[in-house]
Amino acid sequence: MNYFPDEVLEHVFDFITSHKDRNSVSLVCKSWHKIERYSRQRVFIGNCYSISPERLIARFPGLKSLTLKGKPHFADFNLVPHDWGGFVYPWIKALAKSRIGLEELRLKRMVVSDESLELLSKSFVNFKSLVLVSCEGFTTDGLAAIAANCRFLRELDLQENEVDDHRGHWLSCFPESCTSLISLNFACLRGEVNLGALERLVSRSPNLKSLRLNRAVPLDTLQKLLMRAPQLVDLGIGSYVHDPFSEVYNKLKIAIQRCKSIRSLSGFLEVAPHCMSAIYPICGNLTFLNLSYAPGLHGNKLMKLIQHCRKLQRLWILDCIGDKGLGVVALTCKELQELRVFPSDPFGAGNAAVTEEGLVLVSAGCPKLNSLLYFCQQMTNAALITVAKNCPNFIRFRLCILDPIKPDPVTNQPLDEGFGAIVQSCKGLKRLSLSGLLTDQVFLYIGMYAEQLEMLSIAFAADSDKGMLYVLNGCKKLRKLEIRDCPFGDAALLEDVGKYETMRSLWMSSCEVTLGGCKSVAEKMPSLNVEIIDECEQMEFNLDDKQKVDKMYLYRTLVGHRKDAPEYVSIL
Amino acid sequence: MELQLGLALPPPPLIPIETFDLNSYGNYETREALGSNALSWPLLKLGRADNDINNIHHHNSSSSSSSSSSGGGAGCKKRSFDEAPFFDEKRNVPKTLHLLLWTNQPNDEDDDPSNVLHENSSSAIFKNDGEGLVGWPPVKTWRKKVHHQIPNGGAENNRLPAVENGIGGRASKSTYVKVKMEGVPIARKIDLSVHHSFEGLTNTLMRMFGISDGNRKIFKLTYQDREGDWLLAEDVPW
Repeated sequence: MNYFPDEVLEHVFDFITSHKDRNSVSLVCKSWHKIERYSRQRVFIGNCYSISPERLIARFPGLKSLTLKGKPHFADFNLVPHDWGGFVYPWIKALAKSRIGLEELRLKRMVVSDESLELLSKSFVNFKSLVLVSCEGFTTDGLAAIAANCRFLRELDLQENEVDDHRGHWLSCFPESCTSLISLNFACLRGEVNLGALERLVSRSPNLKSLRLNRAVPLDTLQKLLMRAPQLVDLGIGSYVHDPFSEVYNKLKIAIQRCKSIRSLSGFLEVAPHCMSAIYPICGNLTFLNLSYAPGLHGNKLMKLIQHCRKLQRLWILDCIGDKGLGVVALTCKELQELRVFPSDPFGAGNAAVTEEGLVLVSAGCPKLNSLLYFCQQMTNAALITVAKNCPNFIRFRLCILDPIKPDPVTNQPLDEGFGAIVQSCKGLKRLSLSGLLTDQVFLYIGMYAEQLEMLSIAFAADSDKGMLYVLNGCKKLRKLEIRDCPFGDAALLEDVGKYETMRSLWMSSCEVTLGGCKSVAEKMPSLNVEIIDECEQMEFNLDDKQKVDKMYLYRTLVGHRKDAPEYVSIL
Repeated sequence: MELQLGLALPPPPLIPIETFDLNSYGNYETREALGSNALSWPLLKLGRADNDINNIHHHNSSSSSSSSSSGGGAGCKKRSFDEAPFFDEKRNVPKTLHLLLWTNQPNDEDDDPSNVLHENSSSAIFKNDGEGLVGWPPVKTWRKKVHHQIPNGGAENNRLPAVENGIGGRASKSTYVKVKMEGVPIARKIDLSVHHSFEGLTNTLMRMFGISDGNRKIFKLTYQDREGDWLLAEDVPW
């Protein structure tokens, strides 16, 4: 029912920016669907195999910004073979052929070839922003094409990608006429860059707000860059190694003091910890500090640095901060919302690591804490219960005890009660990762209390199918479920296959599901792709339905089986 | 050594169970001084408690893994047993600790009263891809590579890419090296690839450790080769 002309509705829809809301709007009626799709500029596709580029283009002719995600999350941990899929080339090819005026492309866990980058750079006149997160398959040659051809480029943001660095002159490929850069992040590149070209580029980019350098950028270049760009808001330092008595260091101190706008600091890919005092002047304004690539920074030097950061909202750190260091965080960073503590020694004996004590301290001192990623040596139920009481606002709670089935070391009990307290207290919890010794009981709690839960990661947990059933039955908003090494079998998998259509995806590896069970899901639900990933080619020799499946990945899709799967992937 | 071979295989998680002798994984490395850069060696860190602490082990050691883990992993660090008085108790990891076989009810672990201690040793099992659990702990591969600075000298540098090649076929071109100066607890990391000569490398190192020009001549840069001998770095062509 329309009481307003289309233009008015369109104008109203302009104010609706969240993807979820716009999707809802488009379902109201045919007329709203039509107006919404013509006016839609930003589209987010959480699984690149759920839809085809052609259908996307057909529905949203006004598309300007596209976000695509490829491989499943467990690909980050080497659980998905290299060439499983997630190629961006077909998308770029299709978009290039169409009349879409693409301006922004954001990719996560996708395979990006140099060819794709080159095609991208040549096909869209107004292309402004390229963000690649955890991608692979390209070299600095592809970056050179982007630099050379995208005349109005504003953002080139490379986060944790596997880039084959040809140590070429990609930075020199930005033409002199390119003055539009707002954000440049090449911290993940391992090779040298042309420092002169970098300095000139920064000099002619008056709008540059975010600059993250790689390891190859030494301190004296950093100092020169800061002198040319005192307006920076986000800085990633490459190498921070120098002699504290040198001229360069003095110049750096002066340069840093001029940068009154820096709110976010990261990098320190190489660090000489005794020279951190130059950074102190900007610490007081920092809202984001990422020291998780700097194992050389710990102990007193680290604590002193943190003590200057009173306004911190997000802190990413290594576990060599220790429980004591976390105590300093708790005393200093009262505005803290997000804490990530990474293991500095993932396979180690754990002297430097943190325990439940550090977490309890932070929860007590930082009541605004709502997002946590915490790798630790051990955890207790008592600590989790305390944390749940102190911080009821958790949206993301990811706990990784390095020994994956470790019980509460004090009581020797599983951690069911602790995690139960978290889900009961944190009513807005959207993402949860479990670890430690866990029985079916914790899943009962999750099913009962985690009403807003959208993503759940489970490893080495549970006693029986009941665990998985509690979750599938209880968590109405569940979108992504990823499970490894749990005793969940066909009974759990087949209980409610319709549920999977309401979710983005389900990953199960090293569980008890059989080939027959997976086939059954595929048969009953044609709207799902059920992929069996079988690297060892066990399936080739033994097509017995009772055979256990090593890795299964299923996801809803509108476009049926994908055609680009490698040989070891069977889509049932 | 089977552990090395394990690194080269693309592993379904169950395979390592057969090649592992849980008894040999009762021990694991402690850190050096607390002040030291606590990054572990990227590969194996296993070692028997009765190995001479002062020996630096090589992962080229030819002993098989099934009966002993002598030779441990890729250059085990020196261990300080004073720091880990509980080591001996961990030596006998009960066979029921089948952490890789989830079919054993996790609760079985509770039956063994000394389990709390043993649980700690189980972390020794969860090592790199290819030799224990794939993908555990869940740290992004990219981040692990950043952390896996090669701990000591050029020799390790040569070995690491070859091994990483075995894992999933992706060669790490990591050229980072950890350099430790005598008397200084904190080691530094340096990227060999950004230097083009021994001179350049020395200059950077002198700067990093705060050695003035006058004092440079007193210091010598050494590295450890495959046989474990310490050699002068300047003798090696760049």
